[in-house]
Amino acid sequence: MANIAAQRIKREFKEVIKSEEVAKCAIKVELVNDNYTELKGEIAGPPETPYEGGTFVLEIKVPETYPFNPPKVRFITKIWHPNISSVTGAICLDILKDQWAAAMTLRTVLLSLQALLAAAEPDDPQDAVVAKQFKENQDMFRQTARHWTFVYAGGPHKNSDFELKIRRLTDMGIEDHQARVALSSYNWDLERATEQLFS
Amino acid sequence: MAAANEPGSSKSSNGEEKEKDETMLECNICLDAARDAVVSMCGHLFCWPCLHQWLETRPNRQVCPVCKAAISKEKVVPLYGRGSTKQEDPRNKVPPRPPGQRSEPENNSGFPGFGFGDGGFHMSFGIGAFPFGFFTSTFNFGEPRPSAAPRGTPQFEEEQFLSKVFLWVAVLFICWLLMA
Repeated sequence: MANIAAQRIKREFKEVIKSEEVAKCAIKVELVNDNYTELKGEIAGPPETPYEGGTFVLEIKVPETYPFNPPKVRFITKIWHPNISSVTGAICLDILKDQWAAAMTLRTVLLSLQALLAAAEPDDPQDAVVAKQFKENQDMFRQTARHWTFVYAGGPHKNSDFELKIRRLTDMGIEDHQARVALSSYNWDLERATEQLFS
Repeated sequence: MAAANEPGSSKSSNGEEKEKDETMLECNICLDAARDAVVSMCGHLFCWPCLHQWLETRPNRQVCPVCKAAISKEKVVPLYGRGSTKQEDPRNKVPPRPPGQRSEPENNSGFPGFGFGDGGFHMSFGIGAFPFGFFTSTFNFGEPRPSAAPRGTPQFEEEQFLSKVFLWVAVLFICWLLMA
């Protein structure tokens, strides 16, 4: 790895650890390997959003050319959000693409992602299904996102109705996550989800 | 480098305060103490090699890495501390360049044939300046001319004749230029 990239990540790592956001448990960074090419990030779901109370884990890959090119970041924790793929965790955020600037750091990237959770951009979606729901049925979107936060990110809001519907599908031999995706995509309409799964 | 790294990680009693001062002089790209420091017009400090590489990485989007203001290589101010041995502009030192670097695009922009070194310009310059070449011997300031040949010798006659010939050629040429 290029010297400047490793040097900088080391410094940024210290910066994050000392930052006040860490003290407030809002963000966290951990090393995955010793040569600073891969890190594990963590952000807390922002308050007053469906993600509140959840902890979202991120995979951060630092390229050779860092900081001249952005780090490659994706969500490991499954999340229901218009700008994040519910399948791969890929993120659609301009600063991780063409709007990257060399003075941005791990700390600012994590804070930007946290801000993205609080302010989705449905007109520039990564996950078309989620974005459609976000625009057409805001309340359904919030419930679904809250449910995903409960299941995958350790959020506090259990939704017994959703759980029950998933149970109905898993009883039919459908895998738990697959059932949740199908139901989420069809606004928790059990009939249509079943139709899609068995067609 | 090692010395420059130390203040950032110092754990002395007044380390906290010292650290704050040091961060003021850190490059915004490598986060190290800025070497060959330059400041952008928007006031952000960088190492020249770091900023150069940033501008090379995105030739189409030359923005400040901190505030995204428009910047260019020409519009940065080099910083010289007291007692620094070399007062050389850091921009003159070419940082390790990526291979296959193109020449600066300014040459291609604007009027073709306005810059020096263009074929068209040379051509017109040549014609315009030509007749004045004959007078240059008359305008040799500061440089003593070879003494004229003594009157009466064949060399004197020859020189008189030649100067008349050249004078007529010059007059004809100027007339031709005026007519043309």
